[in-house]
Amino acid sequence: MRRIWTVARREYLERVRSKAFIIGTVLAPVIMAAFMVVPMLMMQHQHGKALRISVVDATGHLRGAVEKALEGQKDGERSRFEIVPAPGGPLDSVLDRLRDRVVAEDLDGVVVLPADALEASRAEYQARNVAGFVDVLAIRSAVEGVVVKQRLASAGFDADRVSNLTRGLDLATIRLTASGAREDHGATVILAVILMMLIYTSVLMWGTVVMNGVIEEKTSRVVELVASSVSPARLLAGKLLGIGGAGLTQFLVWMACLLAIGAYGSAAMGMAGVSLPEVGFEVGASFVVFFLLGFFLYALLFAAIGSAVNSTQEAQPLTILVMTPLIASMIFMMAVIQRPDSGLSVTLSLIPFFTPLIMFLRIVTLTPPLWQVLLSVILTLATILALTWVTGRIYRVGILMYGKKPTFPELLRWTRQS
Amino acid sequence: MSAIRLQGVTKAYDGHVAVKDLELDIPLGGVFGLLGPNGAGKTTTLRMVMDIIAPDSGRIEILGRAADGAARDAIGYMPEERGLYPKMTLDEQLLFLAEIKGVSRRDALARLAPWLERMGLAEWAKRKTNELSKGMQQKAQFIAAVLHEPQVLILDEPMSGLDPLGADLMRETLLDLSRQGKTLIVSSHQMETVERICDRVALIERGEKVLDGALSDIKAGHGGKTVALAYEGDGTFLSQLPGVRSVRDFGRYVELSLAPDTMPHGLLPLIIDRVNLTRFEVVEPTLHAIFVDTVAARRASAQGGRV
Repeated sequence: MRRIWTVARREYLERVRSKAFIIGTVLAPVIMAAFMVVPMLMMQHQHGKALRISVVDATGHLRGAVEKALEGQKDGERSRFEIVPAPGGPLDSVLDRLRDRVVAEDLDGVVVLPADALEASRAEYQARNVAGFVDVLAIRSAVEGVVVKQRLASAGFDADRVSNLTRGLDLATIRLTASGAREDHGATVILAVILMMLIYTSVLMWGTVVMNGVIEEKTSRVVELVASSVSPARLLAGKLLGIGGAGLTQFLVWMACLLAIGAYGSAAMGMAGVSLPEVGFEVGASFVVFFLLGFFLYALLFAAIGSAVNSTQEAQPLTILVMTPLIASMIFMMAVIQRPDSGLSVTLSLIPFFTPLIMFLRIVTLTPPLWQVLLSVILTLATILALTWVTGRIYRVGILMYGKKPTFPELLRWTRQS
Repeated sequence: MSAIRLQGVTKAYDGHVAVKDLELDIPLGGVFGLLGPNGAGKTTTLRMVMDIIAPDSGRIEILGRAADGAARDAIGYMPEERGLYPKMTLDEQLLFLAEIKGVSRRDALARLAPWLERMGLAEWAKRKTNELSKGMQQKAQFIAAVLHEPQVLILDEPMSGLDPLGADLMRETLLDLSRQGKTLIVSSHQMETVERICDRVALIERGEKVLDGALSDIKAGHGGKTVALAYEGDGTFLSQLPGVRSVRDFGRYVELSLAPDTMPHGLLPLIIDRVNLTRFEVVEPTLHAIFVDTVAARRASAQGGRV
């Protein structure tokens, strides 16, 4: 038993001290943070200057109302637009002069109300930058408000009453769980996808590390010396524990960063009226449990490949075969999120090679019956045990085989050799 | 008590018999040479002793006990396939290899410095494997075999890859260990090496043992004298002479192995007229000669048996 730990410690230290690990562990959260926090910061602090715009009105009676509505558009605390009064004169020449000023960057844009603005319900916004969709939406809503109000008034309705009577419906989605009800703004789906991607990436990455470790021991020929001191089964166990430990370390660092970013994000987005779902204990715990199940399940397969081949290139086609269930899980992801309780979702989540991703996804999106969760864990553990036996056999024979790449029937024969 | 004892050990791969019903008794103490041509089954035998591969049948004992993990910890092993972890520093690597032999890290650490010093690797302790020369890696591999202070040392081709200085250092170290009472088992096909350091040898050919015993007994029992000749002229007729079993040309001289009942002086008249003889000396048969003769005789009889 002590030797398993000695092997595990060596494997752990070798990974954790490597540059790739340090970069991956530190850099990945920085990139995650960059993707999530920077846009929030930009949204918060980019309240820039108000846009200077003029209104050219061919109808002759909407300008005042439109200018007032535009001035009422807020960007945070400030006004979004600054109205620059259009000079008097023939409309065409006024418009030409304003356009010149826009091009000369003396003005940011011109709102043009054509003569049939009310009847045709149309207007134009001419500017150097028409891609700032928030600004464009604000202009649209301001002008639309004025136009609709005018039309209602001319048809004899009280505009304020009508808008009050036809206001939109606020449908709140409340997620019910055993631990209580919680308002949910669809962020659960985002969270589920992010966490699932994290398990997927980690399982794949650390599985590959196991495979490359086995191949390296083989190509450097050190394995014969090690196998003369530690039995292949213990060597394999130590390797999986050590590399799994390194993977878990990175995984926990990432998770801590994600929680920190999430906490910061909630604070930042709380102002914007969006709340991130809290990561509950059951989600956090199953995140770690299903990562570990996935890691051991796939790492065993990767170790078997590593011991059967002579180089990483040779391993490629076999690797893709092993990755198939993982990739398939990603393809089924949306279907499972839509209907976490459908027959397909339940079935997939109980198949060991899909369990780590699909069952986890179901736990995040809804709370599946406990028996299903336990059954999936037991089935996966049983598969891991069976694979340990098979891989142990292949490993024992394979680590000393150099040269020809074995065929599948040969691999099967290896498992029968003692 | 035997250091290592094999009884009826057989191992076959896919119908090809690598080791066949092998009986080997390596006594405690002394230097034992395991000889054989390439592919004779030496490495397979040693791997079975180290439990890296399992025999199909037969029994292996280490220090009088059935070979198990604990018994195997008493063996230091330098495999034919040399290898160290490429990304580990020399000291970390040697400590790890001692620890998986059951030595505590502290003990291993205490023993490491003297060994590094002795093998001239002290300044290289913090370097990674791929920064070491081939000879240094070879010495490191040797330290890995002895750091846990095993009773028995199995060394597969210990001298290969060493320069003359390194080979001298290795030989002195081996003899020193032998004098301390360790049992050394050296597998090699470098006959000069084996002849210089071994007191007992076994010869394996095609998975079967064909010779086994004290080196002096084997030499005495080989029968037939060996003659060293130096001459000028065409010596192609030498192999045709009656009573000559084999001829080995070393360029500056030629060695003749004679059949057991052939007297060297009887040959002299047959040679002296045909070439200009400058040396004619009866010498002790070299292990090399015994090896070649035994393997050749065996292969010839195997051929004859088949016809």
